[in-house]
Amino acid sequence: MPTAHRVAFVCPRIAEGTTVGGAETLIKALAVQAKSAGRDVVFLTTCARNHVTWANELPPGERLVDGIKVIAFPVNADRDASLFLRLQDRLGRGRRLSQREEDAWLRNNVRSDALSAYLAANSDSLDCVVAGPYLFGVVHQAVDAFPGRATVLPCLHDEPFAHMRVARELFGKARGFIFNSEPERDLAAGLFDMAARPQDVVGIGIDPRPPADPAAFAARRGITTPYVIYSGRREPLKGTPLLLDYFATYRRRTGRELAMVLTGSGAVDIPGSAKGSVHDVGFLGEAEKNEAMAGAVAFCHASVNESLGIVLLEAWINGTPALVHAGGAVLRHQCRASNGGMWFRNYPEFEAMLARLLDDRALRNAMGTAGRNYVLSKYSWSAVRERLLAALDR
Amino acid sequence: MNGADFTLGADGVDAARIVEEIRQAVERKRAQGLYSDPAVVRAERWNMAAMQDDDAFLDAYLESLRESVVVDINDFDIVERRTAMAPLLRRLKRTIWELLKFYTYRLWSQQNTVNGLLLAGIENSERASRRRIAALEARVAALEARNGTTPCQPPTA
Repeated sequence: MPTAHRVAFVCPRIAEGTTVGGAETLIKALAVQAKSAGRDVVFLTTCARNHVTWANELPPGERLVDGIKVIAFPVNADRDASLFLRLQDRLGRGRRLSQREEDAWLRNNVRSDALSAYLAANSDSLDCVVAGPYLFGVVHQAVDAFPGRATVLPCLHDEPFAHMRVARELFGKARGFIFNSEPERDLAAGLFDMAARPQDVVGIGIDPRPPADPAAFAARRGITTPYVIYSGRREPLKGTPLLLDYFATYRRRTGRELAMVLTGSGAVDIPGSAKGSVHDVGFLGEAEKNEAMAGAVAFCHASVNESLGIVLLEAWINGTPALVHAGGAVLRHQCRASNGGMWFRNYPEFEAMLARLLDDRALRNAMGTAGRNYVLSKYSWSAVRERLLAALDR
Repeated sequence: MNGADFTLGADGVDAARIVEEIRQAVERKRAQGLYSDPAVVRAERWNMAAMQDDDAFLDAYLESLRESVVVDINDFDIVERRTAMAPLLRRLKRTIWELLKFYTYRLWSQQNTVNGLLLAGIENSERASRRRIAALEARVAALEARNGTTPCQPPTA
C-alpha cells in the first residue's frame, strides 16, 4: 500500500481559541494525528473566524497551531453574501433551487481563490488532500484543484443541501471519502454514486480518562434533585425545543422532582412550567463539563441531524447512559452498537425510558459502562489514527 | 446519578431488547388511554418534523390529531378564590361566559365540524392507502416467491 506522506487538510476554519465547531474540531484533530504519525501535514484554511460574516479577521500566511503548519488564505472579497444567505435560507426551509440558483449559491459561498491557486501550484508535491465539510465553496475548489485525487470528509446530514446537484457533482469528482460513522456512509450511498471508490469510516478519538466525580457538579451548583443533561448548541435543528417540551411534560405528568442541565451556547425558550428546574449553565470548561455529565441520570439528545455524536461519546466516557431520538440514524446506531443508551420515537416512549433509567440504577450503570467501553475500544486515538492512516494511504 | 458503584466491564445489557420491551409496554398503556392527555399532544408539536420518515409517524400524528381535534365549548365550573365579594364575582364571570358562548358558539361548533371532517378524511385516506400497500406487498411477495428472488427488507427504526 503506498504511503501518503505529504498530506493537506482543507477546512474553511480551524478550531482555535473561541473558534469552535464540530467539523473544524474534527478535521484539525485528524490533521494532528496524521502529523503525530510522521506525515508531513499542512492545514489550509481561510482568514475567517466568524461563521456568519466570514470576514477576513486573521492575517494571511503561515503559522503553527498545535504543532501543525497552518496556512491561511483570504476569503474572496467579491462574494455576494446577501444573495448567498437568501439562497441558503430558502434551502434551509426545504425549498428547491433552480440550476442557475444553485450555481449562484456555490459561486457566492465561502471561497478562496488564493487557497485554490496554492493547491493547484503544489498539487505535484502533495500525495493526498482531505477536504471538508461538503457544503463549503473552498471544499469544492480544493476538489477541483486536485482533480481525481482529493478525499472528501463530508460531515453529511440528511438535509436540503445534500440533495443539491452541486453536492452530487462534488461526490462524483472525489477520489474517496472519509465518513464519521456508518449511518453517515449509508446516507451518502443512498444519495450519491460512490461505487468503486474508497469509503472509510474514521470518526474522532476521545482521550481516555477516569469518570469524573459524579457529585461535584451538583454540589457546586446547588442542584439537589437528580438531573438529565444536554450539551451543545441549543437550536431547533439540534432538537432542544423538543427536549425542553418533553422534559416539562414529564415533570407535569409524573410529578417527579427532576432537573435538566443545559451546557453550551444558543438561546433557549424554557417552558413556563419548567422554569426553576432547568439550569442553563452556558459554556463550561472541560473538567466541569465532565463532572456535569458524570453526575447526570442520562445524557439526552433529541437531534435527528448528526454525522457523529461527539457529545454523546463524551457522556459515555463519563459513564452516563444516553437517551436519544430514534429519528437520528447516527445517535440511534451508536446507542444500539454500544448498548449505552435507548432511543425514543415519541413522548410516551421518552417518558417510559426516562422513568426506567431513574428507577433502575443497575441498568443505568450497566448502560453507562457499556457506552464507556464502546468509546474506549472504538474511539481511542490509536484506533482512530489507524483508520485514518489506512484511509490516507488507500 | 451514577454514584460510586460504577463498574467497568459490566456486560449483558441489550439496549435493543429493552427498547422493544418498553415500546410494547407503552403500546399497552396507550391502549388503556394512559397517554390521552392534551399535554402529551402539545409535547409532540416539535416531534412531527423529526418523525416524518418514521413508519410510526402517521400513527402518532393521527393519535395526536384525535386527542386535539375537538375544541371544548362545554360549560365548566366557574369558581372564585377571593372570599370578599365572591358571589358577586362568580355571577359576573358567569355572565361574561354566557355572553362569550352566545357570540362564539356558532364559530366554534363550525370549527369542530371542519376539524372532524378533516380528521375523518385523513383517516379514511390512510386506511385506503394501507389496504392498497398491503395488497401490493402481497403481490410482490407472491411474485418473489414464484421467481425465487430474495425478499427486499424494509429499513427498521
